[in-house]
Amino acid sequence: MSSYSHAAESLPHEGEHHGPPEPHYSSRIMPATLGMYLFIASEIMLFGSFFTAYFFVRVVNGTPWPTPPYHIPLFVATINTFILMTSSATMHWATQAIKRGNVWGMRAGLLLTFLMGSAFLISQIYEYMRAGFNTSNGAFATIFFCLTGLHGCHVFVGLTILLFMTIRAFRGHFSAEEHHGVEIGGIYWHFVDVMWIVVFTTVYIL
Amino acid sequence: MRNPLRSEAEAFRFLVVVVVGAALIVAASYGNTWAGVAVAVLVFAALGRWLMR
Repeated sequence: MSSYSHAAESLPHEGEHHGPPEPHYSSRIMPATLGMYLFIASEIMLFGSFFTAYFFVRVVNGTPWPTPPYHIPLFVATINTFILMTSSATMHWATQAIKRGNVWGMRAGLLLTFLMGSAFLISQIYEYMRAGFNTSNGAFATIFFCLTGLHGCHVFVGLTILLFMTIRAFRGHFSAEEHHGVEIGGIYWHFVDVMWIVVFTTVYIL
Repeated sequence: MRNPLRSEAEAFRFLVVVVVGAALIVAASYGNTWAGVAVAVLVFAALGRWLMR
């Protein structure tokens, strides 16, 4: 009798929480957004380490940029820059469209962004094949491929996110009230474009 | 302090600011390298001020 009453006392009462404690959510920031912030912070540190290597090769060591007889494919990169900036504009258009409840505007914006991102990546691969040098051709070539390649990997990740966003958009997962998935993907895509502006300016132009 | 990644619209605005800043640095550095350095310092200061507003 006494063991039965002890067991009954240890049981949770009605309305009490079972299992592990409930996670604490900040009232100011959503977990998914916080996750994207932390991811982007880690990406900034990764790019920072590559830019440090660039700085040491070009400024501290004084390596000629580009090292003769190689040439940087500036024309293709300039076209790519316009493509990527336009893709950011269509991404912004997609987000603004869904905020106003324009589902087809969002779908068109996401599809165009995905196509332009793919065009960027394909022309970068083409640029690599025609560059006339590879990673074994000195410090300049190594840093060139590391920085542009690292950015290319980020475009690939962004395209994967965009692909899922576009599929979800065509399945009707987003609305004027529920479009957080488009918002977060858009933040990442703009971050990738900001990094390209830094890479393009430092590696190709200056 | 302004969070440049607070929303998609804010991130897009930040991208436009970065494009304008980079264009100013490139334009100044074409004339003289040190002019480019000076403009870069000014652009970074303005960017910091914009973010801290």
